[in-house]
Amino acid sequence: MKASWMKRQQYLGYLFIGPNMIGVILFFIIPAVYSFYLMFTDYKFMSPNTKFTGMANIQRMLGDDIFYTAIQNTLLFLLSVPVSIGLAFIVAVILNRSVYLKKLLRALYFMPYITSGVAVAFVWMLLFQPNNGPINGILRSIGITNPPGWLSTMDSSMYAIDIIWIWFMLGYNMIIYLAALQEVSTELLEAAKIDGARTWQTVRSILWPLVSPTTFLLLITGLIMTIKQFGIIQAITQGGPGNSTTVLSLFIYQNAFRYYEMGYASAISWALFLIIMIFTVIQWLGQKRWVHY
Amino acid sequence: MLFFSIVMIVPFLWMISTSFKTPAEVFQYPIRWIPAHFNWSHHVKVWTGDNSFVLYYLNSLKVAVLSTVGAICLSALAAYGFSRIEFKGRNPMFLVYLSMMMVPPQVLFVPKFIMFEWAGIYNTHWALILPGMFTIFGVFMMRQFFLSVPQEISEAAFIDGAGHFRIFSRIILPMAKPSLATLAIIDFSWHWNDYENALVFLIDHDLFTVPLGLQNFILENNVDYNGMMAAATAGIIPMILVFLIGQKYIIEGVASSAVKG
Repeated sequence: MKASWMKRQQYLGYLFIGPNMIGVILFFIIPAVYSFYLMFTDYKFMSPNTKFTGMANIQRMLGDDIFYTAIQNTLLFLLSVPVSIGLAFIVAVILNRSVYLKKLLRALYFMPYITSGVAVAFVWMLLFQPNNGPINGILRSIGITNPPGWLSTMDSSMYAIDIIWIWFMLGYNMIIYLAALQEVSTELLEAAKIDGARTWQTVRSILWPLVSPTTFLLLITGLIMTIKQFGIIQAITQGGPGNSTTVLSLFIYQNAFRYYEMGYASAISWALFLIIMIFTVIQWLGQKRWVHY
Repeated sequence: MLFFSIVMIVPFLWMISTSFKTPAEVFQYPIRWIPAHFNWSHHVKVWTGDNSFVLYYLNSLKVAVLSTVGAICLSALAAYGFSRIEFKGRNPMFLVYLSMMMVPPQVLFVPKFIMFEWAGIYNTHWALILPGMFTIFGVFMMRQFFLSVPQEISEAAFIDGAGHFRIFSRIILPMAKPSLATLAIIDFSWHWNDYENALVFLIDHDLFTVPLGLQNFILENNVDYNGMMAAATAGIIPMILVFLIGQKYIIEGVASSAVKG
């Protein structure tokens, strides 16, 4: 009786998970294994003879200047994550105190996150026009005679992308902070007030440490999300001018679907995987810090 | 504070305002927020021209609705299996799911491209819909919710002679309605805004979804700034509507899945 019940459980378990598992195998596991194999071949789209080339792609990657430029750009892109988190914390603290308009303001901040990245990318492209765009218009009117070229020059393009991305992520980060701030006990804050703590002191020595698990979580997930992102950059600059906005994820896309160097692209994509794994391991090791409040 | 919030939506306001201006007014400084004459011609062009947004909307709607419906059903089923049925191999299988979240989409693009080409679904909507029906995030989110439902409820139902399918469809699913709504809205917004997959897997112009159609429109009209902004407005409006309707679900869903997950 008991044995047959167990057997039935087993069968039912597969029945529930099976349909989803089939998709995960088809669209995640098989492609992942296949990609690992492709990394060691010279597979090009439409070319009939695919040869096993061993470590050639990896060697080529390590000798490719653009690969290092892409890593550098990716690091510059990742700069936006702590900035956006810092801003989001400040906004969340202020918004958490204000009673009026809280819902409306929260929605306004969250708007970019829900809208199409491609659409906002094009809006920003015009806002950033170097000669007659509104942003440089404002900068000139406040006395900056030589405003940056933003997306049009190699030194400033990655920072312009950073600004867009900070704006894009701010609402999301803020919502998470608001949720975390709601868990902070009001008694603690009142006690601090009675002890004569100033606003700044309360924020710095009570709120900030208390939400540190959230900060850590946002930092790691934000880094991973940013590393994967390439749609907005592809839509606005396609990696240019020069290779100044070619981040690693965009570099993979370009190699695979513009140059059809798919074996090579697979090798770079596994380099990206390695980086993401490092971040995930850090998160896993840091879990103790944020899972228990 | 209000000032900062306005800074957040200034790009949107500028976009809408520019879509109604004449070309000469686009880069006028100081910025003219309310155009002298509302010029509807750009919007008309976006909706009725050769590359009509009607087509992109219909394509996006098809892809997003089918993907989302599939994703909800399959995620809920799997999440029930992972959280409320005990069977051998459950935990290792869940670990596999976990590990797949680490694999960046870039790793999967090339093999998926080759597989879809081979299976004959490359450059069809199925290339977006079929993989879109499987979301690991969805399984996680629903599992989280199902775990919070007390096991006693199932035990009581077992004693009354109900099986897992009955418990799932009659007890657990109705309780999970708010979570299902959250997942539905978040998933729909992903599919609606998905640019990367459409970029890789679609070629034919009449299959384009909104993000691709938008890009296409802008590349072809790269001097028509007003038209660009009218197109961007068209691309954004549906998600703003969805957001306004489902704000509570979206914000709570996002917050709870990150803070408590």
